[in-house]
Amino acid sequence: MNNKILRISIWVYLGLFFAYLLGPLVIMSATAFNSPGFPRATPWECLTFEWFGALFQDERILNGIWNSVLVGLGTVTLSVAMGLAGALMLTQISAKVRSVYYTIIIAPILIPGVVLGISTLVFWDRINRMLGLGADSFLSNGLFLTIIGQSTFIASYCMLVLVARLQRYDMVQTEAALDLGASHAQAFRKILLPFMRPAIASAGVLAFLASFENYNTTTFTFGEYPTLTIELAQKVRYGITPAISALAFIIVLLTVFGALANEANIKRKERIAEARKEGALPDVKGISLPGFLRGNPAAVLLVLLAIGTITVVGTATAYSPAQCIADVKETKRLEAEQRIQELRAKREADRAKQKAEQGEEAETQQSTPKPSNNSGFGNVFAPTTLSDDEEEGAEAPEPSNNSGFGNVFDPDALQEDDQSNSE
Amino acid sequence: MTGFLKEFFNRNGIGVGAIMLGLVLFWTIGLIVLPQLSMLDFSFRPNLPPPEIGGPKDVYTLENYKYLVFGPEGGGQDYNAVDLRVFYRTLIAAALVTIFNLILCYPISYYLGQSEGNHIRIFALMLIIPYWINEILRAFALRIIFGETGVLNTVLIGSGVFDQPFDFIRNDIALYAGLGYAYILLMIFPMYNVIESLDRNQIEAARDLGAPWWRIHWRVVIPYAKPGISSGCTMVFMLSAGALAAPQILGGPSSLWFTQLIYQQFNDNNDWPQGAAYAVVLLVTCIALVLAVMRLFKVNMGDIGK
Amino acid sequence: MSAGVGVDLENLWIRFGDFVAVRDANVHIKGGDFFSFLGPSGCGKTTILRAVSGFLDPSEGKVLIGGNNMIGIGPNKRPTALIFQNLALFPLMKVWENITFSMEIRGASSAERRKRADELLDMIALPDQGDKFPSELSGGQRQRVAIARALCAEPDVLLLDEPLSALDLKLRQHMRTELREIQKRVGITFIYITHDQGEALTMSDDIAVMRAGVIDQIGDGKAIYNDPATAFAASFVGENNVFRGKIKQVNGGEALISTNRSGDLVARISSANQGKLNVGDDAMMFIRPEALAIAPDGASGDHFVTANVTHEEFEGNSYNIFSEGEGGKEIKVSIPNLGQSFENHTGQSITLEYETKNAVVVPAGELAAE
Repeated sequence: MNNKILRISIWVYLGLFFAYLLGPLVIMSATAFNSPGFPRATPWECLTFEWFGALFQDERILNGIWNSVLVGLGTVTLSVAMGLAGALMLTQISAKVRSVYYTIIIAPILIPGVVLGISTLVFWDRINRMLGLGADSFLSNGLFLTIIGQSTFIASYCMLVLVARLQRYDMVQTEAALDLGASHAQAFRKILLPFMRPAIASAGVLAFLASFENYNTTTFTFGEYPTLTIELAQKVRYGITPAISALAFIIVLLTVFGALANEANIKRKERIAEARKEGALPDVKGISLPGFLRGNPAAVLLVLLAIGTITVVGTATAYSPAQCIADVKETKRLEAEQRIQELRAKREADRAKQKAEQGEEAETQQSTPKPSNNSGFGNVFAPTTLSDDEEEGAEAPEPSNNSGFGNVFDPDALQEDDQSNSE
Repeated sequence: MTGFLKEFFNRNGIGVGAIMLGLVLFWTIGLIVLPQLSMLDFSFRPNLPPPEIGGPKDVYTLENYKYLVFGPEGGGQDYNAVDLRVFYRTLIAAALVTIFNLILCYPISYYLGQSEGNHIRIFALMLIIPYWINEILRAFALRIIFGETGVLNTVLIGSGVFDQPFDFIRNDIALYAGLGYAYILLMIFPMYNVIESLDRNQIEAARDLGAPWWRIHWRVVIPYAKPGISSGCTMVFMLSAGALAAPQILGGPSSLWFTQLIYQQFNDNNDWPQGAAYAVVLLVTCIALVLAVMRLFKVNMGDIGK
Repeated sequence: MSAGVGVDLENLWIRFGDFVAVRDANVHIKGGDFFSFLGPSGCGKTTILRAVSGFLDPSEGKVLIGGNNMIGIGPNKRPTALIFQNLALFPLMKVWENITFSMEIRGASSAERRKRADELLDMIALPDQGDKFPSELSGGQRQRVAIARALCAEPDVLLLDEPLSALDLKLRQHMRTELREIQKRVGITFIYITHDQGEALTMSDDIAVMRAGVIDQIGDGKAIYNDPATAFAASFVGENNVFRGKIKQVNGGEALISTNRSGDLVARISSANQGKLNVGDDAMMFIRPEALAIAPDGASGDHFVTANVTHEEFEGNSYNIFSEGEGGKEIKVSIPNLGQSFENHTGQSITLEYETKNAVVVPAGELAAE
């Protein structure tokens, strides 16, 4: 009985946990297919694919992706190399200095990203000045600074991944290679590197992902190379559209795809290794497709996902939500009109009351289209953010404030104003 | 030292050894130690236009640190109440986020570490996937949920819990949820690693001796998992305190995060030394706090990252 | 058979900080010999091997291979090949790639390598196993692959660092014969490191017995076994009963020892110690279990020992009687089983006798740990 309760509570906990973890991603993905100009899943209006189109026409996003890839490649190269060197050094250094050394190379993980960004910026700026170079020198180049700044801590992650594998490496292997006539470089390339390859691949992927999503450090160093994350942050802070959801959806899809492919590949390798152990030596390339799928749930999911994607893309090219959007617009217009009417009536009443109290003053107030002091914090809405929403609610300028999703926009704009208010 | 170098080059060869040593030195000295020292040095200097840097006015000063405590000179206030409050609040909130994450993640780490079967791999995958998705987008996703017309409010109003939208963002709930969300994996991973290596027989033995489940955890699992727990907590605390994206996107209008002040000093006020001073204060305070807590719980720095 | 390339160690010292791993080693290894370094773990034998293969530089002295000083020459430039204790096969390479790794380094073509691998696989009796990975082979097979890989490098000297220690007893004994045969066939110098005296005795032309960085004795198996130079060599190689005492009298090649437990006993002075033992010196006398026999009751003299039997055991090829010895050690008597009947002596006092030529006396010294 007690056991049963425990079991149920474990599953409830797991359910809640994964809802917390995955729910936001699912909902965000869903908003990419909803027609309102502000990303939201409820109420559901019309299924649309237009945000994907909008995404691919956004020059800044595309440019950001390109910069991110450049930075990512540089960071992967530098941090995997440094991480590997750091890990090798860790296994060779004497016990006395090891703890100091370990603290130094692990510290960047714990140093806040903003601090790393600042110190990188300050340090290389100083070097630049010491060398008497101008503001357009290589050392003050955003690409260089971002790669350097990110690598500082990403190399630590790589080091951790690599050292885990390196601990299982038998240094005698290198000695054996040397003994058989290999040079140190040959032993490194032919023995150590192949052994480390899986870990190097993991470290590389990890480094790329960490670089791709980095914001805290990059925001100080990017210069004239805004990465995707920087562009996204700009967009999210100063007005969001479901095009971002569309981008998120694509990234989620790619991630799930990559994860499943990796999983399926691991399963496949395991199976080949097993088959070899049993004595049969199947040709690795000879594994047929059905064989690839058999007993490999990840592979099955992968194929299903691929089919699903193709179907959706196929539908998307044929599907047009125009009619639906028009319908919703009409409904909204009617609703809005009704609300305006109500409001007008209310205001009429207010005005009558105010008039009774104050006379002329209320007249001027009414003539402003957006009465910014209407609600207590009206003036904190950045105008740019509002305009995003205006498209769908164009006919209802005033209610948009009252409807309240105003302050989901750009809290940052709010903060700055608010601070000045509070001082 | 020369003995070490000789041995090092003997073992690795001149070429490979030189490249290795070069990379390690570049990383540790050029990327880690010198930039931090440089920032520290910079934080003691006045904010000067570029031509005057290195000139007669470029002298060491405590001005930037004074500013954090006392505010602008002649500012009419005894203390820089606004910035100090932000600083204090950031640390408290980061600590709360850490505790929240620990409570949330301990059960799942234990579950993953001590269960077997195919579903564990799938759970692990489900854990990792969100972390392959951009930090900004994760915060963005939460904003969609916690917005005033977001999913959560729609559900809560629809089910009659509230009769009008609750402002999750103004109340910082979105921010805490976002920070917690951002670092779940960093909490789970070290704990999972340690718990996984715990011999299941120890738990069986304790159960056999009649210990109730909470006592098994309190006396067997948690002491064993202490390095993992401290490692996870340290990372989550440091990263939450140093977070910038989540507070910028999910922060309420009246609550700044300390990193945002640093950001403002750099990008809006263009006062780099001031920003550097704030960064130094943040870094030093966080490290001091972490070390103090680690001493309190008797764990070593060497356990971090394992 | 070619004469092979000899190896000489001259005044070799190897220090790690304050610790002396090898102390003034002087060894001459003839070309084409199977030479073993025998000693307990930590005696410095592996250190010597690493100095020969080039993985560490000696602090003083010379390592000569074929008369050429090897100091300052890296392991990849020396005409040696080493078989590591754990074999160090490359796990990610197939067997044939492992074997011909040295050819890959020299830039040989894949076809050449294949061909050579097949020859070597035939030699080690593992034909058609070239496409497996090392992890798919048994322990003995891996052993042979390691040998083939080392031989493929065509070394002048093959160094073996306890390569059989990971194998089970049966396989170990089989591999001894096999190793010896391979050595005869290829005719190159083998230097073998082991702590197993059985391996050293059965395979080697010459053996160096090592203790704590010092080479105690060099000689062939018979010399080491029958004519130990030190107490350590006597106690480490084979089983031996020790009697401590002082030299009472020296008569040419023999000495009378006044032992602590059994009165005056006579023994042969080992050849390395001829003329070095003087009256009054602390000495140790060793008698092998198989050299002791039960004497008629009441017999006494300088080659008789009385003892209280504590227990006995039947080992198949021999019958062993254990009696109280000195300092907690037992005196073991081993009587070959030739079909005679054995009497039970447990609890009784018996008299043992030996022939003088089978008892050997050396200066008192450190004994090997059991």
